[in-house]
Amino acid sequence: MTSATLRGSLRLRLLLTTLVWIVASIVIAGWGLGSLFRSHVETQFNAELGTHLDQLTAHLVLDGQGRPTLSVPLSDPRFNRPFGGLYWQIDRIAGPGMPPMEGALRSRSLWDQVLTVPVDMPKNGEVHQHRIAGPDGTTLGAVERTVRIDDVSLRLIAAADESLMIEPVSRFKGALWLALGVLGLGLALAALLQVVFGLAPLRQLRNALGQVRSGDTRRLEGEFPAELMPLVEEFNSVLTQNAEVVERARTQAGNLAHALKTPLSVLANAAHGKDDKLAQLVAGQVEVARKQVDYHLARAQAAASVRVPGARTPVRVAVDGLVRTMQRIYAGRNLELVFHPVAPDLMFRGEEQDLQEMLGNLLDNACKWAVSRVEIYARIDGDRLDILIEDDGPGIEPDQREAMIRRGVRADEQVPGTGLGLAIVDDLARLYGGQVTLAESPLGGLAAKLTLPASV
Amino acid sequence: MRILVVEDEPTLAAQLAEGLSSAGYAVDVADNGVDAHFMGDTEPVDAVVLDLGLPRMDGITVLKKWRAAGRTMPVLILTARDTWHEKVAGIDAGADDYLTKPFHMEELLARLRALIRRASGHASAELSCGPLTLDTRASRATVDGQALTLTSHEYRVLAYLMHHQGEAVSRTDLVEHIYAQDFDRDSNTVEVFIARLRKKLPPGMIETVRGLGYRLVTPQ
Repeated sequence: MTSATLRGSLRLRLLLTTLVWIVASIVIAGWGLGSLFRSHVETQFNAELGTHLDQLTAHLVLDGQGRPTLSVPLSDPRFNRPFGGLYWQIDRIAGPGMPPMEGALRSRSLWDQVLTVPVDMPKNGEVHQHRIAGPDGTTLGAVERTVRIDDVSLRLIAAADESLMIEPVSRFKGALWLALGVLGLGLALAALLQVVFGLAPLRQLRNALGQVRSGDTRRLEGEFPAELMPLVEEFNSVLTQNAEVVERARTQAGNLAHALKTPLSVLANAAHGKDDKLAQLVAGQVEVARKQVDYHLARAQAAASVRVPGARTPVRVAVDGLVRTMQRIYAGRNLELVFHPVAPDLMFRGEEQDLQEMLGNLLDNACKWAVSRVEIYARIDGDRLDILIEDDGPGIEPDQREAMIRRGVRADEQVPGTGLGLAIVDDLARLYGGQVTLAESPLGGLAAKLTLPASV
Repeated sequence: MRILVVEDEPTLAAQLAEGLSSAGYAVDVADNGVDAHFMGDTEPVDAVVLDLGLPRMDGITVLKKWRAAGRTMPVLILTARDTWHEKVAGIDAGADDYLTKPFHMEELLARLRALIRRASGHASAELSCGPLTLDTRASRATVDGQALTLTSHEYRVLAYLMHHQGEAVSRTDLVEHIYAQDFDRDSNTVEVFIARLRKKLPPGMIETVRGLGYRLVTPQ
């Protein structure tokens, strides 16, 4: 896993750090508890051996020949079971007229075996611990002590199979690791739940943002925890401000249009009907100025509006309004305008004014050239909205179509308003990541296809 | 035919008044929304040229008030606000046509003619009544192809009668539709215009309807 992936996901980051801690704590706890138990068992083991050694010492007597014997057998029955795991042995180290002898007296459990302990001669009464080899290849823990009765020196040994100590330790460790494993799983699950539930508001925030992007809402909506509220409020105020800036820009553009175009009208009317050079110059320049103003105002308004996220516009409403308008403006032409929507709830992801501007220009163009009929089709294709506007007019020659769209502002246009409208539509569509294409309509005239982002 | 021009820019208002007058219309001018609303509400105007950005009351509000009060005269919005959003809003407020500035006077006149014609139920730019033909585009009347020489007031009286063929038109109606508001009106002058028109038209075309006024009919 790269550090980029780790940085990229808050959930992964939280989960991984928590898991590392859980595993580390469990390993340390397991190891610590294991050693603690082992040392406890070891102490117990040695203490028990010490008790046996004490018992052995207490019951030790010498018979008439100076041989060691026990006045009472040791109580633990394991001393009588051959290779039962618990042993004692008495060695004679020295005595008057007697050679040293290993295993002078042994527990029954040793059977025919003799224990050999390293010779280190503990002082009288001192207890030494050893690990020695036992019967059947076992390892024994042993304690020894040297006692002296009369002139006889004896070594007393009590020993037990280490497995008696190791087995409970390993059993304990097994149970311990199992329990710790369950605990670890529980903690990991808790961490997962905590991450999932703790980060749920972030997921909610992401969904809310998605809704703003897709145009379902214009603000982040919903209840968020106190830690996120400042962020949400700040974001909402930015959204509102953005919308206000756009609205202001539109109003200013409108005011500018008004301020410029009324004097242009006055100039044009004053120059109209006069034949002198000045009048012609004024008329020509007024026309150029009008186009420049139209084009740049349209662009300025469009450029402002696509920065507003969260806008969505029902296609039906925009088209219906425009159809009403066209029917009124072209009332004398008896045009038939037909809108065939495929789905009633088609949505454009953008501002209503921009959709109206694009469709208005295309429809106006279609109505201008149509003989009797204009048809409008709309459909959603994935996340694209296709709107097709067809007329039964003369159409445009294929080699001219591209030029019509790309024309932009040109001073040598013959018919006022033609071409420029298409260029504005194309500009607007491109700002939204769409485009306008021209083709021949089955009705005989032009088919203008507008592709835009849909809101689904 | 009487036109109300609502425009707050005085030079443009004067140009409009001049252009419309020379096309044979009686012209009233209002330079703010309140006056415009009052004039449109009380005067029998045949059409309105309405700017939208007006002092005191904006054009859309004026238009909506007229329509709410049942005033049905055709209204042509003449404005610099040229987005389709604004055009749709204007049409939905009750406008009949929408023209953006800067404009050509010919286009304004043509659209106005069409609006008035449609309002009185005529489909063509040429109105005819028997041998008499009125070309609203050229402000010209002909009888059997022979052009009539008419003064501007005579033309207005004839045009109004032509738009209301077969209907009895009162003298007051005629006065109101051929004179602008601030003109010194004298209903007796209408009789003079009618008398002059009767001399220029085939006999029997303008009937006097006793107590009601005049009626333009196809001669027997």
